[in-house]
Amino acid sequence: MKDVLVIGCPNAGKTLLFNRLTGLKQKVANFPGVTVSTHAGRARFSPDLQMVDFPGVYSLHAISGEEKVAIDAFQAALLQPDRVQAVACVIDSSSIAKGLFLALQLRKLCMQANVPLIIVSNMIDVLEKHKLRIDHEGLSKALGCPVIATSARSGLGVDALEAALREPSDIRDVSDPEVLAVDDNWERNEAERLAHTFGPVGDLLLKSHSRLDDFFLHSVTGGLAFFVIMYSLFQAIFTWAAPMMDAVESAVSWGAELVVPMIANPVAADFVRDALFGGVGAFLVFVPQIFVLTLVVGLLEDSGYLARAAVICHRPLNAVGLTGKSFVPMLSGVACAIPAIYTARTIESTSKRWFTYMAIPLMPCSARLPVYALLIAAFIPPTYTAGGVIGLQGLAMFGIYLFGIVMALLVTAILSSVSPQSADDSPFVLEMPPYRIPAFSSILRGALERAGYFVRRAGPVIFWITLLIWILGYFPNNGADLSQSYLAYLGRAIEPIFAPLGLDWQYGVAILASFVAREVFVGTLGTLYGIQDATEEVVSLATRVQESGLSLGSGVALLVFFAIAAQCVSTLATLYRESGSLRLPLQLFAGYGVLAYIMALVAYWLFT
Amino acid sequence: MRQQVGESLWQLSRGQTAVVKGFAQSLTEAYRVRLVELGFRPGAAIACTMAPRLGAPKLYRVDNAVYSLERKIAECIQTEPTAV
Repeated sequence: MKDVLVIGCPNAGKTLLFNRLTGLKQKVANFPGVTVSTHAGRARFSPDLQMVDFPGVYSLHAISGEEKVAIDAFQAALLQPDRVQAVACVIDSSSIAKGLFLALQLRKLCMQANVPLIIVSNMIDVLEKHKLRIDHEGLSKALGCPVIATSARSGLGVDALEAALREPSDIRDVSDPEVLAVDDNWERNEAERLAHTFGPVGDLLLKSHSRLDDFFLHSVTGGLAFFVIMYSLFQAIFTWAAPMMDAVESAVSWGAELVVPMIANPVAADFVRDALFGGVGAFLVFVPQIFVLTLVVGLLEDSGYLARAAVICHRPLNAVGLTGKSFVPMLSGVACAIPAIYTARTIESTSKRWFTYMAIPLMPCSARLPVYALLIAAFIPPTYTAGGVIGLQGLAMFGIYLFGIVMALLVTAILSSVSPQSADDSPFVLEMPPYRIPAFSSILRGALERAGYFVRRAGPVIFWITLLIWILGYFPNNGADLSQSYLAYLGRAIEPIFAPLGLDWQYGVAILASFVAREVFVGTLGTLYGIQDATEEVVSLATRVQESGLSLGSGVALLVFFAIAAQCVSTLATLYRESGSLRLPLQLFAGYGVLAYIMALVAYWLFT
Repeated sequence: MRQQVGESLWQLSRGQTAVVKGFAQSLTEAYRVRLVELGFRPGAAIACTMAPRLGAPKLYRVDNAVYSLERKIAECIQTEPTAV
């Protein structure tokens, strides 16, 4: 099998093209630097070819460690020319000078390695929309290699590209024999010349960019729009997800009523009702909220708005030791900390990248969502105010999310103020992607996959912990009295730790179990209440929490504890891999654990 | 990294254009190369498309792309004004 190396400038549509050529579904977004590691996949059009997608680079001169890793990996792949079918250099048709600069550098490298080069003039649909064109034939003759126009979005030209990749031709030497040597600026000047000779003539993006930027980057309307968009995100988690959550809850209850009476063995029936439907089922109810969260973040990413949000946030983030480029990793952290940590690789400054690593575990990730949603549903009525515009539950969710974000900023502000100024404090330079209407179907598919992945990843963990909790809670008296179970003995041993927060041993056990993964808290509580309840009914967990007599102070303390504590083994493992040291994850685990407990204690005193 | 002499790109207001003359001595070589790669090369025409208040990064158009540059790097790009 031979490789096709896919490389190009950031946000030129490489990954979307890669997905089209392989049938894979790597994450794409309208923001530079989304691909942060190489991905490989078998070509859909030829079983003997493997496509390799590299992170976006502006040139073969790296200015950050991450760029150097990508360029070194690409050059290492070229050192084995027998394994390489061709290099596909993807350029943005609406800004070809920048892409041709990289293409000229690649042409030199490919000629030395004797590897065919194909220039892919992507996003051709954008040019066509503006009735502009590129002279691809002329450009191909000037470069000595094929230049193929494609639109990875619509699929236009992909067949021609596949045919060229199946049987690539060698690069023709088109160098001028009169020229004996070229200086450092030759490639830049030549790219300019080629762009002016063969590229589109006309103002392509300025007007549409400016009109929307006038609004989204304006000192008043920009700030207001940012606040409204972020607030709407959190309202959507409740309002859009509510019908789906009701449907899942009804399905779980219906399933329990259908299945449990069919089980003759009383112990097995209790297990299925309490652990499976009560524990795992309680967790499934919150999956629609994770789906909605991913969907809305995906729409924002694809619209091009996030780069503007990074500009708006740069100054305030810079004041707390971060950069505008920290915004996207931090927002990704609202969905899940693990991809967010990988996204932070695009931050050139080492110190700002590390501060971003420290901020991400405090961002309110989707694993916290079931815990927040449960406690908010238990304490806040589902009513609306301000003429039905503002839902109280959504407002509370916005408040707890805001609390996590403020904590992240406070922590980085304090740490950056006591850290020495870094010598590699890279300045903020960010390419603004064009605004576009989000591709709803692919974002919807991505959100469904994300929700499915969440269930697959968390489901087994929740099942096994639920099983363990159920066995310890059910025996030795066959569920007759939870307070006399093995679990009660264990729980009472740790009760003194959580008693100052007004929490009994059952909540203590659920918190302890949640250190494996936060969402386990909900499943554990569901199982415990299932065993405790002598009735055959499957009642919503929020109702059970209300009936348990949990005070408002303890509820707020729980929310605060979950907002700060670093209770995710996968996140800590990812931080270890990215930082190359155990120091950072261990410090965060201990530091955030102590901070979470102290802040929860303060919250309990304030609300009691 | 602050530029000491001449007009800098940061001084452009929204809607103004200028031609890049060179770079401040204090700009590191890696960033000088990167700016040239992005199109901020001597002789290139740059337009300031957005200048938000409160010191937020400004938006500059070069070729058919728009970049956001914060003050400390925009001040390192020396320019001379052009007629619009």
